[in-house]
Amino acid sequence: MSEDGVARPVALSARDLRCVRGRGRDRFELEVEQLDLNAGEVLVLLGPNGAGKSTLLRALAGLDRSAAPGAIRNGGGPVTLVFQRPTALSGTVSGNVGAALLGKGVSKAERETRIRAALARFDIEALADHDARTLSGGELRRLALARAFVLEPSVLLLDEPFDDLDAEGQRILSLDLAEAIAETSVAVAMVTHDLRRALLLADRIAVLAEGRLVQHGARDEVLLHPDTPEIANIVGMINVAHGRAARREAETSWVEIEEGFEVPTTAPLQPGTRAWIGIRPEHLKLDVGRGDGQPIGKAEVESIVSDGLAAVVTLRVRDRRFTTHLLSGRGLARRLQRGDRVSLAVHPDQVHARPVDI
Amino acid sequence: MAAEVQVGPVAEITLRTLWVCGSALALALLAGVPIGIALGTRRFFSRALVISSVNAGMGAPPVVVGLVGAILLARSGPFGEWNLLYTPWAMVLTSTAIALPLVIGLTLAAVGSLDEEWDLQVRTLGIGRGWRLWLLVREIRMGLLAAVIAALGGILSEVGAVNMVGGNIAGETRVLTTAIMMHTSMGEFEIALDLASVLVGLMLSIALVLTWLQLSGRAR
Repeated sequence: MSEDGVARPVALSARDLRCVRGRGRDRFELEVEQLDLNAGEVLVLLGPNGAGKSTLLRALAGLDRSAAPGAIRNGGGPVTLVFQRPTALSGTVSGNVGAALLGKGVSKAERETRIRAALARFDIEALADHDARTLSGGELRRLALARAFVLEPSVLLLDEPFDDLDAEGQRILSLDLAEAIAETSVAVAMVTHDLRRALLLADRIAVLAEGRLVQHGARDEVLLHPDTPEIANIVGMINVAHGRAARREAETSWVEIEEGFEVPTTAPLQPGTRAWIGIRPEHLKLDVGRGDGQPIGKAEVESIVSDGLAAVVTLRVRDRRFTTHLLSGRGLARRLQRGDRVSLAVHPDQVHARPVDI
Repeated sequence: MAAEVQVGPVAEITLRTLWVCGSALALALLAGVPIGIALGTRRFFSRALVISSVNAGMGAPPVVVGLVGAILLARSGPFGEWNLLYTPWAMVLTSTAIALPLVIGLTLAAVGSLDEEWDLQVRTLGIGRGWRLWLLVREIRMGLLAAVIAALGGILSEVGAVNMVGGNIAGETRVLTTAIMMHTSMGEFEIALDLASVLVGLMLSIALVLTWLQLSGRAR
């Protein structure tokens, strides 16, 4: 069942998947007990470098020979993978897209129609007669996506689809991709380091670490309720601190992370319980007296870095660092300076907390 | 009176030269390209050993190849009963043996120059094996052309090996290189020079055509 409550057919499933790569000290094992890709859903695979994300994608594409036969079950329909660095075959752009239909019994007329539609879907019709080897990185990525979509796949696997693209290129491609996915009901599994883009498309998130699927669920469930501090970091909940539940008042538990510095959370924690908390940067507020959240204490502005859209503000509370995001060029982000003292606030329901397993 | 070149025998020698070279090249390509592709795309035990042998073969002295050919095809040799020694077929087989490592080595290099993930990327499009092979050959065609040029150069200019297994028999196994060698040793430099200009003319014409193909292929 999907997040919106609609039962979606399983397009591809992995059961007891085990892949082995390398030997000796370089040996790497990937083990996934169960993973389903559902039609019309986007599953984003997150994890640190070397976690096995690309290995999993290749195994799902049937390209890993170490995987046991039968570990991957295809619900029918083509499964295709767009690599992180797509290759252009020699010849024209339309020839490259058409290559995917070779030997598939597609008539010439249908072939032409499908090629044109695939090129149009990714806005590269004007490049149809260009030599594919002269394309820019962004154009090549679009070509690879067109080549994948011309197959009318039931499963599309994407390895870092936004890699090497500038911000505008990423924005446009993610919109085109979202549209294509919505129109075709293809099941998508995507590996990306670009969390922001991933979140635009993701219905579900699977987190991999050291070759194991450590958490897997609906997008917001994983983003807002990571199982461990490590997963929290991977899914962008970068404000993580350990402490002890000091008290519980009504529906709120207070976790002391520094002496005299307590953070409220709606997570039910018994006083005295050791716990870790996680706050997404967008949920950590600078208290400007508007009553937005519950004040938790003072912090010093350590740095402000802006990419033009968002300002990333690093704050110091004694020996701990916290990060919050502000809209660049507006209000506080314009006035704030390094060394300023600011008040922090949070909404208790936006503070994730879990007891620490001993 | 100085010896003169007669057009008839020269044409015959030239045609034989082309036949021997063409047949040897065809055989070397037929065997060498698939082997080169297999070596380039597959990983198997002792692959490094096979590649080392190919590399060594690319630099093997043709005269040694000729010697081995002569021993194998001699009446007392393992293939003596085929009666091939001192026939054009012996020259074809020896020339093939000279060209084969060049074709394998250059095909292997062409496959190696492709993106490491090329094969996986094509496989993920769900294309059948035959079409994948066709795409691969199309992709490495410039490298294959280089293999043709190198192999043809090697065969066409070869003299020692073909002399050993062909015997330079007039009307039967005499080719341009062996004829040039013979006339030079007899002091008939004028005839040798005329035959040499035919040989050089052939090489230049073939090189011109192949280079044109190579350049037009790159522009595409």
